[in-house]
Amino acid sequence: MPESALTGVRVLDLTDERAIYGAKLLADLGADVVRPEPPGGDPLRQRGPRADGDGASLWHAFFASSRRFFAADAGNAADRERLQRLLDHADIVLSCDGNFALQAIDIEAARARRPDLVHVVVSSFGDDGPWADLLAPDLVAGALGGAVAATGTPETTPLKNFGELNFMVSGAYAAIAALGALRHARATGEGQRVTVPVHECIASCLEQVLMLNWYGERMGRGRVQPRQGGTHWSMAFTVMPAADGAIMVTPAPDFDAQLIWLIEEEAHQDLLDPQYGEPENQPLLVGRMMQVLRDWVATQNPEELFFRAQARHAPYGWVQPIERLADNPQLAARDWWVPYTIDGRAVRGPGAPYRFSATPWQHRDPQALNADADAILSELGWEDRR
Amino acid sequence: MSARPLDGLRVLDFTHVLAGPFATRILADMGADVVKVNSQERALATNSPDSPYYVMWNRNKRALALDMKNDAAVALCRRLCATADVVIENFAVGVLDRWGIGYGQVSPGNPGVIYAQMSGMGEGGPWSGFVTYAPTIHALTGLTHLTGVPGREDIGIGYSYNDHQAGLHGAVAILAALEARHRTGRGQQVDLSQFEVGVNFLGPSLLDWFANGRAARPTGNDLPYDPAAPHGVYPCLPEGEGIVGERWLAIACMTDAQWRALRGLLGEPGWASDPALDQAAGRAAASASLDSKLAEWTRTQHAAELMACCQAAGVPAGVVQDGIDLAERDPQLRHSGFMQPIDDPGLPIGQTYADRLPLHFERTPCNEYRRVRQLGEDNAAVLRDWLGMSEDETRRGEADGVLR
Repeated sequence: MPESALTGVRVLDLTDERAIYGAKLLADLGADVVRPEPPGGDPLRQRGPRADGDGASLWHAFFASSRRFFAADAGNAADRERLQRLLDHADIVLSCDGNFALQAIDIEAARARRPDLVHVVVSSFGDDGPWADLLAPDLVAGALGGAVAATGTPETTPLKNFGELNFMVSGAYAAIAALGALRHARATGEGQRVTVPVHECIASCLEQVLMLNWYGERMGRGRVQPRQGGTHWSMAFTVMPAADGAIMVTPAPDFDAQLIWLIEEEAHQDLLDPQYGEPENQPLLVGRMMQVLRDWVATQNPEELFFRAQARHAPYGWVQPIERLADNPQLAARDWWVPYTIDGRAVRGPGAPYRFSATPWQHRDPQALNADADAILSELGWEDRR
Repeated sequence: MSARPLDGLRVLDFTHVLAGPFATRILADMGADVVKVNSQERALATNSPDSPYYVMWNRNKRALALDMKNDAAVALCRRLCATADVVIENFAVGVLDRWGIGYGQVSPGNPGVIYAQMSGMGEGGPWSGFVTYAPTIHALTGLTHLTGVPGREDIGIGYSYNDHQAGLHGAVAILAALEARHRTGRGQQVDLSQFEVGVNFLGPSLLDWFANGRAARPTGNDLPYDPAAPHGVYPCLPEGEGIVGERWLAIACMTDAQWRALRGLLGEPGWASDPALDQAAGRAAASASLDSKLAEWTRTQHAAELMACCQAAGVPAGVVQDGIDLAERDPQLRHSGFMQPIDDPGLPIGQTYADRLPLHFERTPCNEYRRVRQLGEDNAAVLRDWLGMSEDETRRGEADGVLR
């Protein structure tokens, strides 16, 4: 098997939902990521969805991919020493406050012995400040971070994104923190602690939200874009109901090409009215064109319309239900899916977010708890020590 | 000036719009020398330094203008590629090959180069030529279908989530490739498909489809798979007109203990003492009626006060904050100095601002935020630092229309 990008990098994974995705990114890139669990097992092994009702956690299979697991009892002196030795052999520790192993190990003491050690601390709000102790599961984190206010329609409440997408932002940032600090350690021998507040991570990934706050008035609009469903803040991209389903439609980036297409379809209504040709009436034209498009799209099959649009280089997007991804021709042509083993059964699962020409991304199935303990112990030289 | 984690890293940046520029913004914030290549012809709309959108994603980079229709500019560009650690682009497939700076053309002379391509659909496959923006990707990946309320599969995420994530994943990939180069001495090509990044986010739901044949559907503010209730966004007293004046509070009871704490705050009303509500599964089954009872309670209260009251009792709660809240009310962001004006205005659009990199490196703090540069503003400095060119040569190139 060829080496992956992070082959040989040792990571101790003490994360929860807020950063487990970051540890996954490192693990799938080939790092040797060890995830200790308390005697009762990682609580994240209970997260749904599960196979066959109450079988293995599919959530855990995805987020804890490519790891080695290690059971330890923080109340047991021998286990505490094992955790400490795992730490002493790591290049990177990723931790979230509340992880059971933090009671058993002394990361600061390890850093004193190992000045090149990188410690990435992911917390809801950072080390200190007025909100440092607040509780923020994904929904609350998304609300405070600014994501929830931007999503939903005027008729619905503000909405969270599906699943735990906010924590996948902090997870990705955690991986960047780890690899950035690792590069500095490789160059200088100096490790460090890096703090990653989930709150700031979310707030930094909101496209128009901070832009409108700072520049909205200069742009001739308000400082806040009220939630408006599937319509982009620019007003030029919107999700429209179609004959069966929905499609994301836009006249951007080439309004003239869209107009010509509507004329060919004899669906252009009054868009050739000279008033729309005046440069100062550009917003009027966009608004009217969206209405005309809405009337036309309502009569079209969304899947067919998507392919017709893309053939004209128009960036429409069919609103696909998840099951249609299973037979998606693009994913199939790029051989994207990877085999997972769930409760001993082969199941198709999600593949890589990026491809490396020389050091491939590789998904490895998680092992049963403690399946790796002997290997880990022997690699750390614990047998020799006797 | 203290060291930053990516000091000395040379990045040649051909990206535009959001996903690519967000990747290089992170590298630049971490100290990389990111040289953004632009041209008079292309510096329009979101690719113009006068556009607030451009200002958001292109701080801390240096600006080089190259008219790639000019052979001398293409030749200069090849020399820059030969000395770059990272080349990154999100053009349509084949554009850089035509300029003679595709990976196959750059790597023989620069075997350490990390060459990152961030296209909508990745290289190869029947959809590789498709034109996509984030709303397109959200639609195609299922993110739009799933972010909504039951029966409404046309809402989706209200901002370009996947563009930011593609940028973050681009940065992860480049940093991982740097570690591989540290070990092997070799660079490589990275092919990032924004579509595949987005599909990946639905990992557990895709496994649910393949293992159980169950297709995920929108669940509003409920968690899709685990019982947690109450778990929603509830109306509070409005503080202004219209939608922007609405105030909402998110409350998420993730444990039975948090529910008991909330019950205490509610004053232990009779309906809440129903033993069926003691466990999460029972509460989740009754979530619609719980939500309406809770909304009656929140509707007459101030969101920020109620949040403080919930949190003090150990109930996870947070105000639904908009951009003005983040900038002006959020005491935590103020404490950390998350948003700051950029000292040197120097731009036609006036004072600009930065939201700081949310990574706090203890030894290599990333505290430098330099303004967005005008088209070609750094021509002379970049060509001096990267190629040893004299200022005279640069000025001649500018006069000849090569550097514009």
